[in-house]
Amino acid sequence: MRTLHRTTKFALQNIWRNIWLSLATVLVFVLTLTTINILITLHVLTDAAIQSIEDQIDISVYFKKGTSEDILFGAQDYLASLSQVSGVEYVSGEEALRRFSERHRYDERILQALEVVGQNPFGGELIISARNTDDFAFILEALKNPTFGSAIESQDFSDHERVIQRIDAFTQRVQFFALILAGIFALIAVLIVLNSIRVSIYTHREEIGIMKLVGASNNFVRLPFIIEGILFSFVATAMTIAIVYPTATAMEPQLAQFFEQQNIGLSSYYLQNAYWIFGGQFLALAILSIIASSLALNRYLRV
Amino acid sequence: MIKLHNVSKSYDSNVHALHGVNLHIEPGEFVSIVGQSGTGKTTLLRLLIAEERPSKGKIVIGGWDISTIKSAQVPFLRRQIGVVYQDFKLLPKKTAAENIAFALEVAGDARRRVREVVPQVMRIVGLEGKERRYPHQMSGGEQQRVAIARALVHRPKVLVADEPTGNLDTITAHEIIDLLRKINNFGTTVVLVTHDKTIVNHLKGRVITLKDGTVVRDHVGNYTLA
Ligand SMILES: Nc1ncnc2c1ncn2[C@@H]1O[C@H](COP(=O)(O)OP(=O)(O)OP(=O)(O)O)[C@@H](O)[C@H]1O
Ligand SMILES: [Mg+2]
Repeated sequence: MRTLHRTTKFALQNIWRNIWLSLATVLVFVLTLTTINILITLHVLTDAAIQSIEDQIDISVYFKKGTSEDILFGAQDYLASLSQVSGVEYVSGEEALRRFSERHRYDERILQALEVVGQNPFGGELIISARNTDDFAFILEALKNPTFGSAIESQDFSDHERVIQRIDAFTQRVQFFALILAGIFALIAVLIVLNSIRVSIYTHREEIGIMKLVGASNNFVRLPFIIEGILFSFVATAMTIAIVYPTATAMEPQLAQFFEQQNIGLSSYYLQNAYWIFGGQFLALAILSIIASSLALNRYLRV
Repeated sequence: MIKLHNVSKSYDSNVHALHGVNLHIEPGEFVSIVGQSGTGKTTLLRLLIAEERPSKGKIVIGGWDISTIKSAQVPFLRRQIGVVYQDFKLLPKKTAAENIAFALEVAGDARRRVREVVPQVMRIVGLEGKERRYPHQMSGGEQQRVAIARALVHRPKVLVADEPTGNLDTITAHEIIDLLRKINNFGTTVVLVTHDKTIVNHLKGRVITLKDGTVVRDHVGNYTLA
């Protein structure tokens, strides 16, 4: 207890009296953690980007003209109740016509063709969005439901199928790449932290020898460095939070606009996973610095 | 107090720093160890504080056989032997008082005792008022006094000094030697390694002369190299 108290005192003294070395070490820690958090942010953004593309993919189901609203609304209710479906929009025949004319308002030929037909060629339409691209197959199967399956004139999905496959392949490649990148970054981070601790202990090598010569036990020499490492990790994590979270919050609106999403969920991702993300980073850093300083010290403790 | 039986030390197979050294130093003696550079004087002191282990032979200090001392025991040995070096070996980021207190703190002494002993030893070495100086704010002589004060905190039975005056001018050197004599007069055994002929002659005490790792002369009197 007395040893812990004293070594803590020495650790604080060391930090203060070697303030530039301390600041440099903390700075290295902060930069390392920030890099890791940029990686985490990229992961969230990739998800958002993929989500953004997936959201734009939906299945349009066109019903035969003259299909009763009962069947249409029944189909809408049924589809909306499926857990794989995130939304079903009903577009009436009139609305479909309006949208069509609107979309082609500068195209004389199409407008003329519509006039030639003389009546509304559109039946009701349901636009179904899936929660997940994997769910499209299930939804397509669900459309064969006997209560409304026969009223369906057509569904346009065939195009999307290829797009979805490509997105899936792309997602997998991105995630694979991100994993490799994360691995490389983690390795670099470990090396940087190891080295900055080695440097810090190297600068203290003579003092370590002197401590041993005046009768300090190995633990008495080691503890201040271990306490310093834990304190540095703590301060560095706190500083990283102070940098990363406000930046994420500030950038979120622009990012949301860029990805055409209402909400990317970056800051809420950090909030919800704060314990895991930052607690994990603190623990990893602290454990790493304890191991690093113990290893680096062993060389100088043999006096 | 200090007994060496047939002690040899080789750093590696072809460097034989000491061989076949027999020594017997009584409690309360003041012994000078002289000899040319590279004859094993520092090696002898390093064996006494277990910075090195003898390759052969037996070393007994105050009845404790330290020839094969375990590393976990070494700190306890070092708290019983005061050591002073030519280059002072003070902790640069600690003040004079903190450097001295450190030797007590590593041994787990209570704060009350630290507060009691540090001013005492500072008074013995004549450093009152310099408590808050850092090593770089003190002269060489003052730094060596801090080192001696630090060596005294555990009231050691033995004080060993490796050329403690090597970095000091003549007057300061004699002040430091007088301080060592004063400590010796309190009853502490002092082993002094030195190159300084005038100091040895001034001491008029026991002189052990080493040459090529062996004791070639052990007498009371003046400095000779043969
Ligand atoms: N750590 C070491 N490794 C290998 N050889 C060493 C080591 N320390 C000392 N020696 C060798 O042992 C011999 C005795 O060295 P030592 O330092 O004991 O001499 P010394 O009498 O103290 O010399 P000086 O008066 O110059 O201080 C020398 O030949 C030296 O080169
Ligand atoms: Mg020497």
